[in-house]
Amino acid sequence: MRYARRAATILALAALVATSACSVEDDPGSSSDASAKCGSGKDFLIGMSQANNAEPYRQVMNDDVTNAAKSVPGFKVVVSDAAQDNSKQVADVENFLSQGINLLIISPNEAKPLTAVVKKAYDQGIPVIVLDRKVEGDAYTAFIGGDNVAIGKAAGEYYAKTLLPQGGKVVEISGLPGSTPAAERAQGFREGIASNPKIEIVASQTAEWLREKGQSVMDAMLKANPDIDAVYSHNDPMAEGAYLAAKAAGKETAIKFTGIDALPVPSGGIKAVEQGRLQATFQYPTGGREAIDLAKKILVDCAKDVPKTTTLGTQQITKENAAEVYTTLGGKQ
Amino acid sequence: MTDSPLVRMTGIGKRFGGVHACRDIDLTVRAGEVHALLGENGAGKSTLINILSGVITEYDGAIEVSGRPVSFGGPAGAQRAGIATIHQELDLVAGLSIAENMFLGREPRTRVGTVDIRRMRRQATDHLRTLGADLDPRRLVGSLRVGEQQLVEIGRALSLDARVLIMDEPTAALADAEVERLFATIAELRRAGVGIVYISHRMAEIEVVADRVTVLRNGGVAGSVDPKTASRDDIIQLMVGRSVDALFGEGRNEPGDVLLDVRGLAVTPRRPTPGRTEPAGVDLSVRAGEIVGLAGLMGAGRTELLETLFGAGGSGRRAGQVTIDGRPYRPHGPRTALARGVAFVPEDRRGAGLMLEHSVTDNVVLSALSSMTTLGLVRRQAVRRTVAGELRALAVKAASPAVATATLSGGNQQKVVFAKQLLTRPRLLLLDEPTRGVDIGAKAEIYRLLHQLADNGIAILLASSELPELLSLCDRVVVLHRGRTVAALPRASATQQAILAAANGDDAKEAR
Amino acid sequence: MNPPSPTVVAEAPPETPPRRRPIRLPRDRHAIVDSFFRFQSLFGLVAVFVIAIAVSPVRNGENVFLSSGNLANIVRAVSEIGIIAVGMTFVILIGGIDLSVGAVLGLAAVGSATLMVDSGMGVLPTVLIVLFIGAAFGATQGAIVARLGIQSFIVTLAGLQAARGIARMWSGGLGIPIAYGDGPQEAPESFSVLSGSINGILPVPALLFLAIGVGALLVLRSTAFARHVYAIGGNEKAARLSGVPVRRVRVTVFAIAGLLAALAGIIHAGQLNQGSPNDGAGYELDAIAAVVIGGTSLAGGSGSMGGTIAGALLLGILNNILALNNIDANVQLVVKGLVIVAAAALQKLRPRIA
Repeated sequence: MRYARRAATILALAALVATSACSVEDDPGSSSDASAKCGSGKDFLIGMSQANNAEPYRQVMNDDVTNAAKSVPGFKVVVSDAAQDNSKQVADVENFLSQGINLLIISPNEAKPLTAVVKKAYDQGIPVIVLDRKVEGDAYTAFIGGDNVAIGKAAGEYYAKTLLPQGGKVVEISGLPGSTPAAERAQGFREGIASNPKIEIVASQTAEWLREKGQSVMDAMLKANPDIDAVYSHNDPMAEGAYLAAKAAGKETAIKFTGIDALPVPSGGIKAVEQGRLQATFQYPTGGREAIDLAKKILVDCAKDVPKTTTLGTQQITKENAAEVYTTLGGKQ
Repeated sequence: MTDSPLVRMTGIGKRFGGVHACRDIDLTVRAGEVHALLGENGAGKSTLINILSGVITEYDGAIEVSGRPVSFGGPAGAQRAGIATIHQELDLVAGLSIAENMFLGREPRTRVGTVDIRRMRRQATDHLRTLGADLDPRRLVGSLRVGEQQLVEIGRALSLDARVLIMDEPTAALADAEVERLFATIAELRRAGVGIVYISHRMAEIEVVADRVTVLRNGGVAGSVDPKTASRDDIIQLMVGRSVDALFGEGRNEPGDVLLDVRGLAVTPRRPTPGRTEPAGVDLSVRAGEIVGLAGLMGAGRTELLETLFGAGGSGRRAGQVTIDGRPYRPHGPRTALARGVAFVPEDRRGAGLMLEHSVTDNVVLSALSSMTTLGLVRRQAVRRTVAGELRALAVKAASPAVATATLSGGNQQKVVFAKQLLTRPRLLLLDEPTRGVDIGAKAEIYRLLHQLADNGIAILLASSELPELLSLCDRVVVLHRGRTVAALPRASATQQAILAAANGDDAKEAR
Repeated sequence: MNPPSPTVVAEAPPETPPRRRPIRLPRDRHAIVDSFFRFQSLFGLVAVFVIAIAVSPVRNGENVFLSSGNLANIVRAVSEIGIIAVGMTFVILIGGIDLSVGAVLGLAAVGSATLMVDSGMGVLPTVLIVLFIGAAFGATQGAIVARLGIQSFIVTLAGLQAARGIARMWSGGLGIPIAYGDGPQEAPESFSVLSGSINGILPVPALLFLAIGVGALLVLRSTAFARHVYAIGGNEKAARLSGVPVRRVRVTVFAIAGLLAALAGIIHAGQLNQGSPNDGAGYELDAIAAVVIGGTSLAGGSGSMGGTIAGALLLGILNNILALNNIDANVQLVVKGLVIVAAAALQKLRPRIA
């Protein structure tokens, strides 16, 4: 019995050591496969490392990538979900490398923590396309992303010229504090409304990107500021939450709501605009199709020179164009 | 009693693996009779009772109820046939009230279908009154003392209108006054034609209450006797298969100096707990080598006094003076008590004495671990040696020191608690009901052990609900009433009557 | 009392099975069965390891799962959860739970980054201060549990919120990037050792996990402290009456959990070159899963450190092999859930040894 216990312990330790040391040879030796192999008529494995599938925006991004890849013969996409955990995303990318992917598309959870592993892939000769959030340095092939300052600014200008030309009181519901999009969407908005000094931001509260928090934050802000004219929300779900709070207070018609993202899904902002709950929303592109286009250039067309940075524009969605945009973006009915 | 018996069990046998728990047992219960079942632990009483109450459904032999053969599919079936059981381990829900417990699963309903709380409380009160217990049916069972909980159990069985009542050691947790009331209730039930199967270790009770005694030994019937004619020794001999000489030893060494001295001890609890009687004026002393008994009714504050002396009582303001060896003694907790040479064997062996799922070794060494460690590391050799020695000294029967303590019999579990406390080399031993739930053989061994300890100069303060135990073991008996010491009777003048009179507060009317 | 009922009740199927007797087996078979259950997680680990080799994709003739790079990835990926799980094992053994460890990890990651980057401290003082903060945080929770008698679930749930709040306040809500160098706003180069590996094979975090796991295993095997831990989990009242310093042990145990969570946080910061207040979210549940798969009872009093280490590795291998085979992320979650339930169910089957 005691022997069994001791033996088991030794086994456990052996297993531990074995897992870390059983094969001494370094590097699975796939480094230059990808670039060497480029050309048409071949099969390519593309790893798509997603930061968090639970966000609708990122789900749409995955869908855009996989749908676009279907039209390229030989492309196979595998998607991993880091569930908002930097460490998990590092492990996901490493697993992709073990599998021998030919190209990596990554939408990083955060910049700094993912920089090293992205560089590792890049140094192995694997083309890396970074989506939406950047990593640090320049050890990647291309970055494709929206411009949140520009989007915020577009929204601000819409407020200044169209929504509140006479000025008014605006409350801001912002995204997760510390996240770059939240900071940039706030900054751009302020630049955009600068042309109309009669617009006043009376309060700014965070709802951490979440619909339910948008509702509770709006509840509180309505108590403090009963005479709000408009709500500028950093994304559509928070705007919808704020709308619900206003509706409960009987003020949903007196207050105008705008969001950002404009996802082509039934619960997304485009539908909310079409159905009249939101006044406007501003598209934040996923870059999924563009990433596959770029991947095709690199892998199939053997392009050596691809643009390092692609900035995607935004699109203003109001009642007039909502249904049309929804269709062009491939939204499900 | 010429009619057919309420219950007739014939040729009952039950095997667990290769072990015969019961073999070829015949037992009848007649209407209006108290049939006592005696036997050491492991003699087969529990198995037999479990068969009769429907807990065990696979067995050999046949059971008839009122002349009809029956076979129970489970305890509910036995209950429907009119057989109710009061188990030794209480089956109560601590978070529910007395009334809710009594009618659990068969709550009376009002016309609209909600629970008829008033009727439930009224009936609960009635049943408790029958038992002479005056408890508020709204009280939570968890706030009751063990003995009071047992009364609730008995009340529940009464409310089932049972024709056959199985009582498994119903008095184990009752003080003498409650026992008297229980016996009155039993007499009442008997007149109403209820047949009672009565299990107890207490010989004196059997003599008072039983019409017939069946003694089990090693899974079979050792004999059936009439308690009115058979002597106590005869019955014990049937039980253990040999004659037991002098269960209660005599002739002791002269006690030494005063070790523990308590003057005017009183505790005012910060938050009074219902059901607890804190010390409210206790004077007593125990000399080295002396055994002092602590008597009193249930709720007189015996357990609370012992806990206070061990530093394990409720928190509160303390008055009075306690000294050990003449030096002040104010224990903040069990650790300081143990450091001053005070050890405690609690009443609730399973709940407070042992880690049942852990090995015998783990239990035995727990209190004295520091003497077997170097720089925080346990010396396995020392542990093994110490445990082996201690188990031998106390004659603990266990397959090995590595088995789970739960697998030991009640008596051997109690010896493990003793072993743990004795390993701390105490000078004062506080014992709370040390022989509860222990069979007669183990009881005798514990008595011998206590004498031996006293002869070695250890002072012993022993609380017990069994007056014969106190009278035979103790040099003096101190009687508590409502948290106060009301009498200190030296061995020569201590009698059951004197103790009971004091315990009932007859000498302490001014205290009211 | 009642007139005898005229009919005898016919019986339904058994409602209560007869009490189970301890299973007796011949000595050697008995020992095998016992050690199977005792080392259930180890057998599980070996089984999962073998299965992983079998189902691993093969590339260029090499088993991908067994490649040194992949195995190193696995042990590095589990090292933080593993270290937390070691502390969690102590807490669960005394019948408690610590939900704050993930948040403490975040707090420690933020602390490491802030102290080195913003306050310009060296590595050693930073590590010591952060470890102290973790231990003190845990000890405070332990003291509240022990003194006020509040369930540890509640206290550490509150602690989780508090630690996240403190981390956000300290960092200003932002992840603090760690750049290396000698200049201001830069951390000493030596801190980056945490993201490195020994001889390019054994990642440093895995080495730390190994060292701490073995250390804890020895502590639990041989110390009086461990006996006290088991005793409190087995029967707290009996332990107290036996003179076990229940409060002190409680506080110590929670301090250990906090200390190890802080260590994991330091490693986290070192591996990711950043301290973010949101780091470690949900790690407490992964750690509890590792402990449960390791066969430790949530009721306290029984369990082993070896089991926890094996449980953590098992989870890591499981995650890895599912990912290598491109199993859908959502299916992975379901599989992990099933493994946890299976491990707990297996414990229920364990015979009580007579």
